[in-house]
Amino acid sequence: MTATVPPTGRRRGHTARWVAVAVGLIIALFVGVLATRSPAIDTEADTPLLGRQAPPIEGPGLDGGTVRLADHRGKFVLINFFNSWCVPCREEHPELVKFAARHAATGDAVVLGVIRDDTPDEVRRYRTEHGGDWPVVDDPRGVVALDYGVRGQPETFIVAPDGTIVARYISRITADGVDETLRRYRGSGA
Amino acid sequence: MNAAVGLGAVFLAFLSAVAGVAVLTTGLVRNRPTLLRTGRVYVWLVLGGAVVATLAMQRALLTHDFSMRYVAEHNARATPTLYSITGMWSALEGSILLWGLVLAGYLAVAVRHFRHRAADPLVGWATVTGLLVAVFFFGLMLGPANPFREVAGAIPVDGRGPNPLLQNHPLVAFHPPMLYLGYVGFTIPFAFAIAALITGRVGEGWLVETRRWTLFAWGFLTAGIGLGAWWSYEVLGWGGFWAWDPVENVSFLPWLTGTAFIHSVMVQERRAMLRVWNLSLLVATFSLTILGTFITRSGVLTSVHAFSESAIGPLLLGFFAVAVAVSIGLIGWRGDRLRSPGAIDSPVSREGAFLANNVAFAAFAFVVLLGTVFPLLAEALGEDKISVGRPYFDRMTMPIALALLFLMAVAPALPWRKASGDLLHRRLLWPAWAGTAALVACVAFGLRGLATLAAFGLGAFAAAAAVRQLVLATRRQGWRGLIGRTNGGMVVHLGVVVIAVAFAAAQSYGHRGEFRLSPGQSAVLAGHRITYLGVEDKQYANRNAVEAMVRVDDDGVFRPALNRFPFAREAIGTPSVRVGGFEDVYLTMISAPRTADGEAVIAVVVQPLVVWLWIGGGLMAVGTLMAALPGRRRRPTEPASATVPAADDPPEPVAVEAAV
Amino acid sequence: MTKRWLPWSAMALLVVGSLAIAGADGGGERTVAGRVDAIAAEVRCPTCEGLSVAESESAASRTIRDDIRRRVEAGESDGEIRAYLVSRFGKDILLRPEATGVSGLVWALPVVVGVFALAGLVVAFRRSRARTAVELSDDDRVLVEQARRGR
Repeated sequence: MTATVPPTGRRRGHTARWVAVAVGLIIALFVGVLATRSPAIDTEADTPLLGRQAPPIEGPGLDGGTVRLADHRGKFVLINFFNSWCVPCREEHPELVKFAARHAATGDAVVLGVIRDDTPDEVRRYRTEHGGDWPVVDDPRGVVALDYGVRGQPETFIVAPDGTIVARYISRITADGVDETLRRYRGSGA
Repeated sequence: MNAAVGLGAVFLAFLSAVAGVAVLTTGLVRNRPTLLRTGRVYVWLVLGGAVVATLAMQRALLTHDFSMRYVAEHNARATPTLYSITGMWSALEGSILLWGLVLAGYLAVAVRHFRHRAADPLVGWATVTGLLVAVFFFGLMLGPANPFREVAGAIPVDGRGPNPLLQNHPLVAFHPPMLYLGYVGFTIPFAFAIAALITGRVGEGWLVETRRWTLFAWGFLTAGIGLGAWWSYEVLGWGGFWAWDPVENVSFLPWLTGTAFIHSVMVQERRAMLRVWNLSLLVATFSLTILGTFITRSGVLTSVHAFSESAIGPLLLGFFAVAVAVSIGLIGWRGDRLRSPGAIDSPVSREGAFLANNVAFAAFAFVVLLGTVFPLLAEALGEDKISVGRPYFDRMTMPIALALLFLMAVAPALPWRKASGDLLHRRLLWPAWAGTAALVACVAFGLRGLATLAAFGLGAFAAAAAVRQLVLATRRQGWRGLIGRTNGGMVVHLGVVVIAVAFAAAQSYGHRGEFRLSPGQSAVLAGHRITYLGVEDKQYANRNAVEAMVRVDDDGVFRPALNRFPFAREAIGTPSVRVGGFEDVYLTMISAPRTADGEAVIAVVVQPLVVWLWIGGGLMAVGTLMAALPGRRRRPTEPASATVPAADDPPEPVAVEAAV
Repeated sequence: MTKRWLPWSAMALLVVGSLAIAGADGGGERTVAGRVDAIAAEVRCPTCEGLSVAESESAASRTIRDDIRRRVEAGESDGEIRAYLVSRFGKDILLRPEATGVSGLVWALPVVVGVFALAGLVVAFRRSRARTAVELSDDDRVLVEQARRGR
């Protein structure tokens, strides 16, 4: 039969218990972290561009001519990345129309659309169907989207009259929500 | 009707599981063998409920019963029969039903297997543990993951159909069930581990009882992961097979701890050591399957494979916490009895190699787990959102994988207890020469990249070591030399080597290109001439497809396609692959031409040895089967297999542990 | 006895030699395409999960790849290009976490744990070697003899 090893003494008596306690604590912490995470799908998103000058936009407009972001200095600009085939874009569109109409009289804010992953022809058809008369710029190589770090669509940035970016939304916006953001920004005295 | 029957069956399974737990626990606590014998009958009721629920679900899917919400959302009239059947695991609720069915099946087989020992408390507690897991999963189906919920309002005329990616390739019929057979299979060894802790019979008996169960679960998990990689390659269209994506990682984690277990369990059987460690590995494997399901289903991490999200996240996390807490509590409580009587004589021995193997696998699992959840941890520590992707995993796991290849080469040559220099020389010389020759040949042929070359050299070394063992065994015992744990294990090792070499080659020596071609135009990538011939529109029951005809090297036309499914926003690409023993040419259509003679954009990926990944996976599956067959019978007098009664162990309460 | 080491030293020489040849060969001039691929492999595709822009064929990935190429040709360093992408998308555009700050933990922790595990292994071997000298009884020897003869 196999020879037995003399007991190693009390030194290891409680090792298992202490290791169990330590491992238990680590796992409890781990579970705590997991339990307090919100789902990765989020609407208001952070961007490194917040508070910085908005990257310039200049390109061929959908209705001819050249569209420039710089032309709208002095107003709030809602830069809206969209296309004709994305369902949330379609759902968001009436809100953009409402926002544009609300500010058409006062002239303190405009919408600027940027086509993402779509052809001008499709977008023209889309606009005749769904309305909207704000300037839209074509971005066939996606360079504007790259400059703004756009991930999906729709995605919307709010640019303040002084040209800094004050907010970014990575899903549908509402006219009221955007107005609320504008009010907050004005209220903060900036 | 289907919904009512299904829900009733789920209810039956749930109640039976609860009743089984109650009866068995009473019998165990009050020591009533009659109750133990009746209690196990409830397992058959659970199985009955699960089977009827599954049949109801299948009937609903096949008859397109859109009064059920699950069917309306994941099936359509145009869905082909195969994808109606697989619809059961196309989304969360149905997957949980599949989980419940597999679990009930395993439990029933276990109860039948141990029918002559129903009064044994070890079997009793194991059954209770298994039934508790069943209570949880059938409870989920009665609560937030109810697959039989009815649609609100009017019954829709047609459903939305399964996710396009899940009605694109027949592999979807095999990959998830295999994965679940693997995941759920670990419940049985886990249940026996818990039972051993509760009864205090932590000797080696429970290990021998569950050895083959673990092996089967491990084999299914291996096959499931392999088929998943194959599915990725055939469907997702980026030319890869492993992206270190969270969903892939969490299926890989239990595989890593499970692999560590099936190695270290041999040390416990032979030398009665590493008991706490082995229990912990089983607990970790089971818990990681639950944690994995949580991560993929709760939406805390996004992934290409996560096809649904729901409110069951917190419940899964809670179940994970309870399972871990109970297990750790039991291990802490039984800590004294678990102290191992044996000791390792020399690090240069079989048990020393297994120990090193376990450290490597544990480190591997730690790196994968840390990398997967680190974005969440960093966020909790106040860091910005960060990503942890392929560069991290490649860099961190590469040295561990190389170390494992080395151990795989050396360990089969090592004897138990202690190895002499002479013996090592005799056993390792030729395998080592094989490895060296492979390395020199690769360098001579102009291959570069140190890690890749190391993988090739060590792979050849390990393969030669495995072949040496198999040759010796077959010389001694004829064809029987191929079966049994040791020799079947060597076949598995060969499969692992084939995969490791193919993986390293495909990752290091691939080429990618993207070409804008008019009909008749050609492009050349890595020595292959790709000629675009034109497109064809095709109508299928569930989709419309634009298929490009692309000739590769004058032999054969391949048809990468873009599919449009109803209810899907974007076109889904289907790659087409020219499979070769040496190189795969992988074609995808990036954009279809606007007119018939317009330009199409075709992406081409040329990667070597990809087909050997699947062959290696098959070899692993075959090897696992061989390992599960009973090998050469050992005589009990043979020194290595003699059971080791531990003198400083408290006497076992019941003498049924005389495992043969 | 010395003869036994002859083949092993020959093998060691061959292995080191061929690895040295392979290693010396790899460090040539970095081409533009090589640099673009290397950077792209570590940038996350913004519109698809889990893939790098080198692997993904989505429109956004192509734009980023083209931009990386333009910047490499314009003489920007790898670090500058990565910094530009981070300034637009945020840190999570990079698939390789930084080695500093909190994200440095993801690199450091496995190393720390690995060192502890190896130390534990060494201690375990040492300790078990200290408990040697198992006394064999005559009965044991007889048993072993019987078993040997039975083979």
